[in-house]
Amino acid sequence: MNANAPAVSRQAKTPTWLANLVDKYTWLVVTLVALFVLTFAYGMITAPNFLTWFNFKTIIRDAALVGIMAIGLTFVTLSGNFFLLSMKETAALAIIAFATAMSAGYGFEISFLFTMGVAVIAGALQGVLIGLGGNPIVVTLGAAGLFFGVASWWSENLVISFRRPHGAEWLGSGSFLGLPNITVAFILIAIVAELVLRYTTFGRQVYLIGSNRAAGKATGHENFSMAIKTCIIASSCSAFVAIAFSAQVSSAHVNYFSSSFGSSGDMTILVIATVMVAGNSIMGGFGSTLRSSLGAVFISTVDNMMVLHGFNSGPRVLAVGLMIVFSIIVFALVRRGSRVQE
Amino acid sequence: MSKSTDMGFVSKAKLWVTNNPDLAFAILLAVCVYGYFAFSNEFFATHRTTYAIMERFAVLGLVGLALTLCIIAGEIDLSIGSNAALAAVIVVRFTDSLGAINAALIAIAISTLVGLIQGYFIAYLRIRAIVLTVGTLMLLRGVSLFAAEEKTVMLTDFTIPDFISTKMFVYFSPASLLVIAVFIAVALFMQFTRYGREIYAVGGARKEALASGIDLKRPMMVVFSISGFCAGLGGCIIGLRSGTAQALGLQYLLLAGTVAAFIGGVSILGGRGGVIGAAIGTLTVNFLNTGLVFNVTPAFMVQLYLGVLLMVVIVFQTGSQMFDTYQRRQQVLGDVDLVRGELLNKKRGSPI
Repeated sequence: MNANAPAVSRQAKTPTWLANLVDKYTWLVVTLVALFVLTFAYGMITAPNFLTWFNFKTIIRDAALVGIMAIGLTFVTLSGNFFLLSMKETAALAIIAFATAMSAGYGFEISFLFTMGVAVIAGALQGVLIGLGGNPIVVTLGAAGLFFGVASWWSENLVISFRRPHGAEWLGSGSFLGLPNITVAFILIAIVAELVLRYTTFGRQVYLIGSNRAAGKATGHENFSMAIKTCIIASSCSAFVAIAFSAQVSSAHVNYFSSSFGSSGDMTILVIATVMVAGNSIMGGFGSTLRSSLGAVFISTVDNMMVLHGFNSGPRVLAVGLMIVFSIIVFALVRRGSRVQE
Repeated sequence: MSKSTDMGFVSKAKLWVTNNPDLAFAILLAVCVYGYFAFSNEFFATHRTTYAIMERFAVLGLVGLALTLCIIAGEIDLSIGSNAALAAVIVVRFTDSLGAINAALIAIAISTLVGLIQGYFIAYLRIRAIVLTVGTLMLLRGVSLFAAEEKTVMLTDFTIPDFISTKMFVYFSPASLLVIAVFIAVALFMQFTRYGREIYAVGGARKEALASGIDLKRPMMVVFSISGFCAGLGGCIIGLRSGTAQALGLQYLLLAGTVAAFIGGVSILGGRGGVIGAAIGTLTVNFLNTGLVFNVTPAFMVQLYLGVLLMVVIVFQTGSQMFDTYQRRQQVLGDVDLVRGELLNKKRGSPI
């Protein structure tokens, strides 16, 4: 019936939602996404103890650290400065700064401010170079080496620990309404970041410069100051994660965020992956921090599901990698020819 | 008589420096670094150290070469470390059952294929290479973890590591000779074939190149398969030489390779630089690495120096870009003033 249906009847009939989808995104994308959703749903139903409140809390808790960093990085990506390859090294520098200050006997507040100061300097350094026109990837690759070297040299490559009853315990192991405080911080930061991006002048400027740099320049919004601001936001988020992590384990070492962190290899790549899995345009101007937070929860869900199914770290990293490549390809196919792509 | 030929040589050298400022800078830097360590340490300028430097050159040179080609094409291959780790794991895992040569061929074929597929997708989807290669970085790590069964794989038979490090012609080993051959082949390819020139074209002026009928797929696939090949060969050499391989190792290659490429004179805007630059850049990094080891520097300090070096090079490059833009702007403003002055004079009726 469909094959010889005349054009008139097609016009008269309102297209179904499926036809609409296919029309908008092509068969290939719809099939790919449908396949993925089916696999995901199958895994979710068959995994033991997956659909419980406790497990849900675990997922959010696992997502929190990566999620906070991803929210910070999203600002950089949205403003059209690609991404920073120095996230984990900034965190390493911050964790050393925090633990050094804590073990020297300064209180939590002073240590916190000191660490944030270090992070702001680190962010501003990269921001200035990027703002002057340096390529973000290369600048932050160099900065990563620099920060990691400074952090190792500062700590003499040793573990710095501070004794248990300390002022940061509430952040590391305290909880609020049944949720760990780090999770609460993640949710709060996600909400604040989204509000800032949507309703403040600064947030709109981020989108403007990201989506059209020339227009931004013509209206007096240079990328120079924007790069500095967004880099500072990103490195402050890294520093916050470092502080939270250090408060949890009461110690610090430069390698805490390197390859042994979590199951999925190194933190920087995981953060960048989170930003991209969520579908933020790498060219800037399209996306939101809400997407990144959901991306972090999504990656953590998949990881959790595979743990419950009893997979080793190899297949888990493989699955996360596949998901990233998959989402990159799907988003690229969806946006083919549109400006957000390039 | 001799004076006049001397003059000729000097002026020739001057001309060459003005034509190749990046390469001249790279050579100057290499000589300075070598000179510094040669004077500060008596064991640095010896045959044995030179052999050690060439051994390092074998691996790092390949990575530097691969990244140089990628940056010439206007892209960066971030997955190079993971690709090399995958090759290392495969070659070490299968050497016992298949023999070293077969295992190496398989590993290199897989790495090259990975690069080829990356290149195809980058061109087909019209996305930036950094986007896709961050994804494949993680994916390949997963694959190599899977292939190594999350363990450090090891060789049982250590005759192959011995063979690879055999000294030949005082300074070389089979590995470094092979790498030098690869360098020469790639240099000839880039200089004299159409495919090589296409890579320069899509890097320096992508829109113009595409408009003049170059299919983006071909140069991208060529560049990324060479990059994959280099990563695979480098991984094989590392794996066979040390006899062990870790799935999560070799991530430091990216920073060192990028530094080498940038010292060698590539521009982040693409289209500039060359294979000779890559060789000199890698040698400079190797001088620095080896020299710092001689002066008993911990490994993380090497990373610090490399990071600082990369940032300094970037600052120089960005500065020269800004200076160029400024000069062009001044030129345009001057032209405008000139035309305006002429018009005003015409209006007054008093031509100069």
